[in-house]
Amino acid sequence: METTILDNIANSLGNLENGEKLTELLRKALESEISMADIIEKGLRKGLETIGNKYEGGEYFLSELLYGSDLTNAVFEILKPYLQQLEADVKGIIVTGTVRGDMHDIGKNVFKMFAEASGFKVVDLGVDVDPELFINAVEENKAEILGLSALLTTTISEMKIVLEKLNSAGIRNRVRVILGGNAVSEEFAEEIGADAAVLDAVQGVQLCKEWMGE
Amino acid sequence: MSTNRERFKQVIHHKKPDVLPWIEIIFEETLMRWFREGLPADEVTVIGYEIGRGGTFFTNWPIFKGFGKIYDRFGCQSFFGCMLLIDVGPVPRFKQRKIGETEKHADYLTETGAIVRRPKRADFEFYAMPQFIEFPVKDKKTWEEYKKRLNPEDPRRYPKDWETEGYIDLFESYHKGPTLLRFNGFYGFGAELMSIPRFVTAFYKDPELIHEMLEHWEYFTIETIREAVETLKDRIDVIYWWEDLAERHGPCISPKLFREFFLPHYKRVTGFLKKNGIDRIMFDSDGNLNPLLDEIIEAGSTGLWPLEVNAGMDALEIKQKYGDKLFLIGNLDKRELAKGGEAMRKEVDSKVPILKEMGGYIPSADHVIHVEFSLEHFREYSEYMKKSCII
Repeated sequence: METTILDNIANSLGNLENGEKLTELLRKALESEISMADIIEKGLRKGLETIGNKYEGGEYFLSELLYGSDLTNAVFEILKPYLQQLEADVKGIIVTGTVRGDMHDIGKNVFKMFAEASGFKVVDLGVDVDPELFINAVEENKAEILGLSALLTTTISEMKIVLEKLNSAGIRNRVRVILGGNAVSEEFAEEIGADAAVLDAVQGVQLCKEWMGE
Repeated sequence: MSTNRERFKQVIHHKKPDVLPWIEIIFEETLMRWFREGLPADEVTVIGYEIGRGGTFFTNWPIFKGFGKIYDRFGCQSFFGCMLLIDVGPVPRFKQRKIGETEKHADYLTETGAIVRRPKRADFEFYAMPQFIEFPVKDKKTWEEYKKRLNPEDPRRYPKDWETEGYIDLFESYHKGPTLLRFNGFYGFGAELMSIPRFVTAFYKDPELIHEMLEHWEYFTIETIREAVETLKDRIDVIYWWEDLAERHGPCISPKLFREFFLPHYKRVTGFLKKNGIDRIMFDSDGNLNPLLDEIIEAGSTGLWPLEVNAGMDALEIKQKYGDKLFLIGNLDKRELAKGGEAMRKEVDSKVPILKEMGGYIPSADHVIHVEFSLEHFREYSEYMKKSCII
């Protein structure tokens, strides 16, 4: 019974059925006294993983990825009253932002949405972020991951400055740095000493999960 | 010897020109860099700035008057040689104004009703894309309100002298390149008004709204361009259909959604154009369009630009698969070209000779000549392209 309900939740989300259907399944799960941890991990996040896999496999596209993240985040809002343990269940803390001089935020926002739906706490610094602000936010939030975004070839040099400042602050070895955006490449990440550069939000979140030991 | 316009037309109709046309769009910020690097300013006619809408109605970038001379200087053509001046934006415009500022940024209401944030630092202020803070259409109510500005019958959509004799003659004498009619496609229009996330999720959350918007955009597009198409059908060489509907990973909407929501509207607009003898319809989108190419062709498009290499677009593969169903423009990796020297030559040599033989291809960087391109490297690229384009 429990497995069926959780599978149904995962399938409903993975197949992007409407929000009402998902809410109804969640209500059933709660009535059946299935643990919140299982609802989240074996139901919702499994469904979200299906969406990510379908996106990577070319079956789903940005519209489906965003709608799926949207559905998940909406469900979390509904579940909030039951979710005291949500804070404790956070997979990791990510500080993210678009580097100085670059005002693009779509890619970063997609990453944020998908990361939050996948269980990360995301501290979003916005766009055109000064390097010092990244360093401060990593320290203040004790972030495990720093996600830097840049669309423009003219602004990716800012990423190098952030890396240098992390080194100067003596915290580089405490945080993984992931790069995203049209202008970045794995070669560039290696060149400036970042840990990785990713093509899209799904790859980025997958990597963050691996880093957090999943 | 053929004119630039004739060469362009020959290629997009899959005929062999005497010399392959080479087309670029030089970004204004790049030109500023080149001035600093020694390009004599008096050799491009800079009379002053005007605010241009760039054909899509959310950009309001400064345009150099008399910019065309820069292209002559390097032996290439400007993509936007001759654009029909039809207003496809909201009329009346919103009054552009600053609505707030901080130490670092200033927020503006744009002429399309969006709110954007721009950095105040001089280096970035003018050219960098702003951050969009708010979009004018959020739901049915805001759409209904906005729609009032999308009335195709508004006389302000056409130049005042549209019906005077000699308008076409003026085009003929002033411009050297192909004549383009440019407007925004169904995705481009919706994403501009609603934001990409809100628009692409609305296909699931509020499909009725999407259907209504697309229905109106079809009506608006056909009726706005009708006069131009019916009077200038023999003059219009190519339709520049702006969409920008893909990211590096793939299209922002699936082929399934494209078929369900867009295809019927596309077909009616391209059908109207083709009925008037205009069958060269170029689809403009960055990103990886590969999963959507069958649908784009079925929709009536007959050409693609800019074929972004970084997103996995490959002109050779597309040519081999689709042959003369599509003319192609672009696909020279701007990052490699900007490096100059061997990297630039390798990029050109790997594509231009073979695509020139296959036909239906016009070489161009896979988007604008961006600010990373030094004057020295562009000169070198220019000399190499002139040799490479000889048939």
